Amino acid sequence: MRAQFRSRIRYVLVGLIIITLGIFLRLYVIQIIEGNDYMLKADKQFSSGSTGLFDRGSIYFTSKDGTLISAATLATGFLVAINPQTLVDPEAAYAAIAPLASTTISKDDFMADAAKKSQVYIEVAHHLSSDAGQTLNAENIPGVQVLVERWPVYPGGDLAAQTIGIVSYGSSDTLTGQTGLEAEYDDTLSRSGSLYSNFFAEIFSNVGNMLVSADNAREGDVVTTIEPEVETRLLSDLAKVNTQYSSQGTGGIIMDPHTGAIIALGSVPTFDPNDLQNVDPSLLRNPLVENVYEFGSIMKSLTMASGLDAGVITPQTTYDDTGCITVNKAQICNFDLKARGITPMLQVIEQSLNVGASWIATQLGQEKFRNYFLSYFGTKTGIDLPAEQGALLNNLRTTEQVNFDNMSFGQGISVTPVAMIRALAAIANGGVMPPPHLASAIQLDSGTLKPLDWGNGTQVFSAQAAQEVTTMLETVYPNDARLAINADPSLQYANVPVAAKTGTAQVEKPGGGYYTDVYFHSFYGFFPANNPQFVILLYTNRPQGVQYASGTLTATFMDLTNFLADYYNIPPDPQDVLPLPAHVTE
Amino acid sequence: MRNSRLHLPFSLTSLASGTVIVLFVTYIALIAIIMSYAALTIEFSQSVKTDQASVAILEGQYLAALAQITSTNYVAEGYVVPSGELYVKAQSATALR
Repeated sequence: MRAQFRSRIRYVLVGLIIITLGIFLRLYVIQIIEGNDYMLKADKQFSSGSTGLFDRGSIYFTSKDGTLISAATLATGFLVAINPQTLVDPEAAYAAIAPLASTTISKDDFMADAAKKSQVYIEVAHHLSSDAGQTLNAENIPGVQVLVERWPVYPGGDLAAQTIGIVSYGSSDTLTGQTGLEAEYDDTLSRSGSLYSNFFAEIFSNVGNMLVSADNAREGDVVTTIEPEVETRLLSDLAKVNTQYSSQGTGGIIMDPHTGAIIALGSVPTFDPNDLQNVDPSLLRNPLVENVYEFGSIMKSLTMASGLDAGVITPQTTYDDTGCITVNKAQICNFDLKARGITPMLQVIEQSLNVGASWIATQLGQEKFRNYFLSYFGTKTGIDLPAEQGALLNNLRTTEQVNFDNMSFGQGISVTPVAMIRALAAIANGGVMPPPHLASAIQLDSGTLKPLDWGNGTQVFSAQAAQEVTTMLETVYPNDARLAINADPSLQYANVPVAAKTGTAQVEKPGGGYYTDVYFHSFYGFFPANNPQFVILLYTNRPQGVQYASGTLTATFMDLTNFLADYYNIPPDPQDVLPLPAHVTE
Repeated sequence: MRNSRLHLPFSLTSLASGTVIVLFVTYIALIAIIMSYAALTIEFSQSVKTDQASVAILEGQYLAALAQITSTNYVAEGYVVPSGELYVKAQSATALR
């Protein structure tokens, strides 16, 4: 009995061994010996035979309710390739492919490709839709392959295009981020692994890496603070200004002054990253971080804050405004050349008096002025965009007072728009410059959301100085609003207190000196002034047929203010809103 | 002299052989599971990417609609700007009604 049992066991064992060896042998044949053939078959079904499927992380906008909406992601479709050696009827193949292609295929080029009998694989059409690809595949034309492919796509088109950036081959043979967030977060967005790696071989060769991959802990999607509806509104408004005044460029940034989170930003002209073949390369550049400008009178807000913080002036301080002054043999005048006599500090901001700003710079002295302005613009903002330019601060290193006077009202000092809004945001944030940023979190492939910590910013002047400047800026807005409403009665005066300042700068000539009839307009403001939630910076470069920024950008600022107040349900605060004056003279 | 060798009711050789066979079968089974897992991962990954692409198309339509709404001049379309706005305090929401 025992012997019989043992023999049965042996039969079972032998059977198991044979089955196991059979499985093992079959796996070996499939995976190792015929692995390449199967991989090619898989590639024919799922991807381009030459390179495999492109993979990359996404970049997201974040709507106000927290919903993520793709700014950059991947599209899936089909490419069509021909094998000239097996293509029997090129005419029929062209007739089948051409109507389904997303772009026009030249018949001459197609026939030339079909005649290259020494080649076996030539791609003739890309980015076919799923329906078109499946239709073509069903026709089963000899010598025509229909392969799945993926490519980068930007659902918003030109929405924040210069900030989102592009992916292209650049100088390498792989698609990588070249500009904007695509370049800044390329390490996060790139995908190193391939779905078609040989798992059987990896089990034997690389068990450790299969279980824990450092790449998987790093790779993910980028979640930005850009709100798509606000972004759309901003870009629409900027485009209107640029078209109306035939400007050479118009831009804007909307930011949370407390955190530095950028809610919207953009400039026009811009481009559609889905159609890179027809893009002027100069438009790929992001002027908000890569261009520097002389912003003009909005700089007076910082001069005023510096003087108040240093204690050399108070809001009650007065000076004798003579209309023009001569400094180092150069003449500095108010915009209208008129003298005001004994003038309080409030009027320096409200009437935008260059002589008054120069007087504050003189009271500060060169060393203090230099220290304050270096604290505003001496370092780059560190925004998460590539190629950020530093400010041009050469005049801060001179000893001629005229240079300091000019800088006090925004001439002779050039900064990027993002550096400008960071410094001005300090006025809305109790004297603390926030760290401007676009990415709020990285969504790892594991599903974990990893928030990014941008720090608390830098205190550059006191909260009291910030509050005193805010009070002055609040008096500016009603006058500008009245002028804008006179020009366009459909504009609405905000129901929340607003602090704002315009700037009109002369544009520097290439050989030195300034044009007398070419201007750079800027507009800066924040609201609600008593509890700021948004700070806005707008500019338009070389607008035609208009001299002052109040004429170009006030209406845009008012539209954005009303839109944001409605969109974010900011409650009206009529008690704190300064009344709209009945008449204002320009 | 008494034989102190331990007498077991089964052969150690058979036990060892059985164990080896069982471990080997388990090993092959694990490989099969891992390969199935890998195949499913590829399939699901493809599916996710395809779905993402479909969502991207919808997102593109949504953003295009936003742009169209933003650029529409409603006054030119015949709508009238409200003559006034009335703000009321929001009612506090409660589950106890």
